[in-house]
Formats: sequence, C-alpha cells, structure tokens
Amino acid sequence: MPGPTVIERLVADVARQIRLRRAEFYGLRGLFWGAVAAVLPLLFKEPLGPWSYAGAGLFLLAGAAAGAGYGLLLRLPAAEAARLADRGYGLQERISTALEWAERPDRTPIVDALVADATTRAGQLGARRIIPRRVPREARLVPVPLLLGLVLAAAPPIPLPQARLPNFSVSRDEDEEKAAVDRSGEAQQAERKQATRRDQVQRTDVQERNLSPRLGGGGQSQPGDLAAVFKDTSLGGRAPDFNSFLKKGDERLRMLDSLERLPDLQSDFTQSQARMVFQKAKALRGGLDPNKKVSPEKLRELLGEMERLGRKNGGQGQGNWSGDAYEGMEALEGGQTDKAMEAMERALNKMRSMEERGRDGKGLKGGRESERRGGKRGDKGSGQPGGPGDEGDFPEGEGLLPGRGKSGAPKGDATARLRGSPFDVGVEGEARAGRKQGIDTNMVGRGAQMPSRLQYMGVLGQYRKMMEESIAREQVPRDFQSQVKEYFQSLDEK
Amino acid sequence: MAQPPVSSESQEQRVAEFVNAYQSLRAEVGKIIVGHSEVVTQVLIGLFAGGHVLLEGVPGLGKTLLIKTLAESLELSFSRIQFTPDLMPGDIIGTNIIVEDAQGRKHFQFQRGPIFGHILLADEVNRATPKTQSALLEGMQEGAVTVSGSAHPLPSPFFVLATQNPIEMEGTYPLPEAQLDRFLFKVRVRYPALEELTEIIDRTTHVRAVEVRRVLTGPQVLSMRELVREIPIATHVRDLASFIVLGTHPQWERAPESARRYIRYGASPRGAQALVLGAKVRALADGRFNVSVDDLRAMALPALRHRLILNFEGEAAGVDVDDLVGQIVEAAEAMSGTGKEVFLR
Repeated sequence: MPGPTVIERLVADVARQIRLRRAEFYGLRGLFWGAVAAVLPLLFKEPLGPWSYAGAGLFLLAGAAAGAGYGLLLRLPAAEAARLADRGYGLQERISTALEWAERPDRTPIVDALVADATTRAGQLGARRIIPRRVPREARLVPVPLLLGLVLAAAPPIPLPQARLPNFSVSRDEDEEKAAVDRSGEAQQAERKQATRRDQVQRTDVQERNLSPRLGGGGQSQPGDLAAVFKDTSLGGRAPDFNSFLKKGDERLRMLDSLERLPDLQSDFTQSQARMVFQKAKALRGGLDPNKKVSPEKLRELLGEMERLGRKNGGQGQGNWSGDAYEGMEALEGGQTDKAMEAMERALNKMRSMEERGRDGKGLKGGRESERRGGKRGDKGSGQPGGPGDEGDFPEGEGLLPGRGKSGAPKGDATARLRGSPFDVGVEGEARAGRKQGIDTNMVGRGAQMPSRLQYMGVLGQYRKMMEESIAREQVPRDFQSQVKEYFQSLDEK
Repeated sequence: MAQPPVSSESQEQRVAEFVNAYQSLRAEVGKIIVGHSEVVTQVLIGLFAGGHVLLEGVPGLGKTLLIKTLAESLELSFSRIQFTPDLMPGDIIGTNIIVEDAQGRKHFQFQRGPIFGHILLADEVNRATPKTQSALLEGMQEGAVTVSGSAHPLPSPFFVLATQNPIEMEGTYPLPEAQLDRFLFKVRVRYPALEELTEIIDRTTHVRAVEVRRVLTGPQVLSMRELVREIPIATHVRDLASFIVLGTHPQWERAPESARRYIRYGASPRGAQALVLGAKVRALADGRFNVSVDDLRAMALPALRHRLILNFEGEAAGVDVDDLVGQIVEAAEAMSGTGKEVFLR
C-alpha cells in the first residue's frame, strides 16, 4: 500500500528532527561537564606541561561528543515520533492512529479511509522543523568553566605543594623545634583571641548567663572541691597580691577557714529549677549556630518548658517568668518569632535576677547559708519580702494588696498565686465521660466574677489548646479549621 | 429527506453523509433555538452515541423547546412526561387493563405508557419520587420494560432527554447516583449572551412562521450509531481517557491533589465509555476518521461532571465540578505524556 510509505517518510523525518534536537540537548550538557573536567588538567599545568592543554581540549570534545552521541542513540519508538508529528503539524492524531491501525488485524473498514486521509495530508505538508529546540540548564553555565579554563591556560602554572623528606641533621632538628615552639605560641595566642571573640558573640546573642559549672584549670567542680572557691568568685581571676598576703593574709586563705560559708556547688547546679531551665535552654540551643536564630520548634519547646517550670514554681512576684514564657508561646503561635524571642529574653532576665537574688549578689553568700535562711522563711525560700516565703505573716486578705498589708516593705502588685487575690481567676477542667471525649471546665478562684486580664490570657490559651486537640481529633474541613483558628487569632489581637 | 446509507458506499461517503446529516440537524434546531451552540452539539453527540442526556438549567432557557425541536427534526415518535410528585411508575411504563374481546371474554391487556416512544422528554425529572424515577432506569439501560413478568421492548432508537432545575430544590427528589450514571451526558444550559437574547426577543415576538424539516429517520440514526463505533482510536488517546477516568478516583495513587481532596467517589467505567463514544461522534462530526486528544478534552465535562460525587469538604468549599474535571484532564495529559515535551525521554 503506498499510503504508509508517505506516512512512514513523514515519521522518519520527524524522528530525524527529534534525534538532532536530542543530540543538541545532550551535547550541550556533555559540553558543560567536559568543560568542568577540562579545568582539571589546566590546574596541573606545571607537572603536565603542554599535555595539560591537550587534555583539556580532549575532555571538552569528549564531553560534547559523548552527550551528542547519547542523544542520537537514545531510543525513539516510531509511535512517539508519530505523536510528535501529529502535534507539530496539527494533524489531530491522524498519523499516529493511521500508523498504529494500519497493521492491526482488527482494523475496521473505516481505517482505510483514515490511512488515505492521513496520507493525503502528510503529502501536502511542506518540510519544516516542528520540534522546538530545548536548551538544558547546564548550557547557561558553560561559560563559567570555559572562562576558568581560559584564565588557567593564560595564567602561569600554579605551584603545587612540595613534599619534603625529613632532615635528620641535629642542627636542623634544633631549628625546627624552635620554630615549632614559636608556631605553637602563635597558635595559642590566636586561639585565645578567637575564644574571647566567641565569648562576646555568645553574650550579644541572647545575653544568657552561663550557669553550667565553670571550667577552670581542673575541669568540673565536685562537691567539697575547695578549688571551686577560686573558680566561682570574683577573686578567681585576680592575680595573687603577695604584698597583701604578707600584710593580712590572702583573703582566699581566710575563706578556707570558714567552711560553712562555702557554696554547695552541687546544690547550686542541680537543685534550682531556674538553673535547670537554664541548663535545658542551653541543651536545646546547644546544637545551633550561635549566629543563627533558634528554630520555632526549639523555641516552642524551650518556652513550654520554661512556662511549665514557672507554673510549678508557683510564681514568685517579680521573679515569675511563667507569664513571659506564656506570652512568648502565644506570640510564637501567632507566627511572631521576634516577639517570642523578646518574651523569652525577658523570662531569662527574670530568671537571672532571681538567680542573683538567690546568691544575694555576693557570689559566696549563696549556697548552704542562703538555703538555710530560705528554709527558715518558707519552703520556696526566695528571700524576697512579700514573697511566698512571707505567706504566714499575714491573715488572709491582708498584706498582699497595696495599702492593706502590715509590712513596711514597699507594696507591689498582687501576686499571681491562684486564690491569693480577689482578682485571681483560674480554670480547672476534668475529662467528661461519654461517646466523645471532652473536658468540662469551671472557673475557680475568688476573682471568678471579676474582670481580669492576665487570667483571660491563661484561659484563652487553655481553650486554644482544647480547640487544637479537637480539630486534630475530629474530621473538620480545612476551611472550617482555618476559620476557627482565625477566630482565636482575632481574640489574641484584642 | 436524506436516504439511508448504502453499505456499498465508500467509507468516505458514509462519513460525509454523517457530517451532512449532523449539520442539517443542527441547522434545523438552529431555526428555533438561538445560541446554545455547545448544548446543541452535546445533545446531538449524545443522540448519535446512543446515550441519554440530562439537561440542567434554570427555567426559561429553552431546554424543553430544544428537545421538542430536535424531536421535530427527526422522523421519530416523541413523548413528553411532565414529572410531578404524584406521578406513578405506571403512568410512565403503562399498565395492564381489563379489556373485553368480541366474544365477551375479559382479559388483561398491556396499555403502553409514554415511555414507548423514540424520543422521551422527561421534563423536570427531579420532581417525581425516586420510585417513579427508577421506573425509567430499566428502560434507559436495557431498552425494555417489564410489567407483570413480561418484558416489553422499547422502540429503537430510544433516546431520553431529561431536564432538571438546579436551583428550586424544595419539593424535589435529587436523582440517585445510579440513575445519574445512566445518562451519557449531563449538559448545563447557561444563560444566553446579549446578542443571543436580542435574537430570541426578535424571533419570538414577531410574526414569523418557522417550519422545521425532518432530516433523519430512525434507521439512519441507528446506522450512524454503528458508524460511530467503527472509528479507530490510537492507544495513547485511549490511555488518556483511562487516565482521566482513573484521575477522578481519590483512591488512585496518581490522582491529582484536588481529586484526592474533594472527591468521594469517582466516575464508573460507564464514564470512560461515554468519554470515548462522545469523542468518536465529535471526530466524525468534524469529518475525521480518528479520535483526537481534543475530542476527549471537549467531552470530558459532559461525560464526567455528573459522575463525580464530592465529599463533605468539596461541598462545603463550594467546589465547581467543572473546574475539578478540568484539573483532572490537565493532570491526565501530563501523566500520559500528551501534554508536554516528550522528545527528550
């Protein structure tokens, strides 16, 4: 049948075009990688000599040729070429259908008409390129290795590092030793400078105080380690004053006499919740680059931990960081990472100030002595007037509000203890039994009937958490989910 | 009036006759119906593909008039049933009545209902109860109805054109999915454009006698239906149809994201049949001997829009099924390699 011959010729022509385009495409790709490879012999121009130019040219040509060859040899079924012919010439699948059905045993009489129609149309087509040129991404980068190669070719040879045999002569040994000592001295100095710089960077980041056991020359302090005295005092960094020693004895030696004033370092770093938070904060931030911001997940984890410990601590007047941590969590939920960071810093500052108070601002006066004093006042023992430690000093309803207390200490805001103030409101909830899980909530506290602001935020947070749990549990359409979330978002903004 | 095609005629002639018949039918319908070009095309494609068509549109857009005009253009019997809530299955199918013969003996005789016509207009089909709607099922699928244990074949060709109003839903019984699936196409009748509206006013408010000619007979329609099935389809085009239909199934691992998100149930194999048959008729009407990708693309909407069942999220989000089908077709083209540059593979 003459028909398929014309169709096959057309398909063969399109196949040729496809192969050409493929050769161009993969040839350009190969040229790029060849150019990259060609840089290598030019780098070793000194040992290779003129061979480096030949090698570079060879790599370039081989890359392009290999790519083009791959493109030419890539498998190309006739049906695919026919489909592209149909599309390229706008033949609406005539060629591909005719080519496929012409050989089928179950062909219907109308297939003959189809083949004749396709043949007629194929014969009327003028030869033109229908396959568009495709340029690979690598082609745009070809000038880079090419330019680099040209520069390397024009530039003088790069001297390669020379390996030297060791000199066994005695005089040279001495010289080298001296040089090594000099070098190590320089390195140590450089290291010291670098360490100072790193320390500064860390301080400017979140301005957190490093509360982990300080490392002196002897490593981590052990309980009862007297050397710790020298590490943890302002005197630690001071050079010994031999004159004063001669006159009245070194202050440090005098301190060794009064053992009861020594700080309990173990208690310092394991028993204080604030320090635990600090240590956790450090652990969370430990793997991060100090120059980078904390990731939202880590920040959320950190704030959650701080808020939990703050609540556990029961609030300590100005030292209560729970509110700040909670605000930070709220800001983080709203996508305001900067605000969250600020809140975290405020909370950390409060912790730091509480820590300072715990140490009485005098370093050595913290520890066992401070704890003993705190133990007398109350279990929590912050030593702050008007704090929880003073709770037993006043009858209920007195002493905690401005103007009603007996204490001569300055009157501050009411504490955040639940039921401690008529303004306090809290929410307690219990799981409801039934087909669906739920929580019955109830407002408690003396101030349940009174307006409040801080507690509103607390309640809102609890409701938000319950909302998120419900949304995760129930199958709610996404749009509805976003509407509910937007509602809570709007409450936040208020 | 055109003559039935002679079998000895060449295939080209058969196709040319089909094109002529199709064009004359369009022209006759066009004498009465203004605009609605796509609707007329899809209804005619449904007629030649051998399926039934559901027309959906607000009242007053000319749905019933279109069907009546089409029936007038064909030399076929025409029945119209106005569906109402109190319509009973017997009112559609027919019933056994007692008749007395010449000897005075009484016996039951089947009185045929309006379903026994070549072209059946089921007007406002969603106003009848499901029981009555289901009376249409057997006739639409099997071409026969069974009354008191005996089957009564329906005349051939049998073509049901149903209309429904998408807005006024009070007091209606939406068609069940099983019945919707029996319609080859669901055609949406849109509001006419400005020029079309002007033309409608001119035609309907002046004294103007328009006579519609009958241009096709029943046997001709049947012969054309046979011709449609002879049209070849290339493998990659057929694969595209499969990809489109499978793409409507949220469970299919290659289904597009929109289908996974908004569809509860996808199209049945009847959807694929409707797609390919419609594409074949469209190719023939265009004078082609083969199905093209464009044919499938054009037929995807009427063939699939009533076969997709949206999930709650889709309903709540007000997802337009037509948009969804468009996305599925695009995804299917990308999958089958017909919609992108494949020469580099």
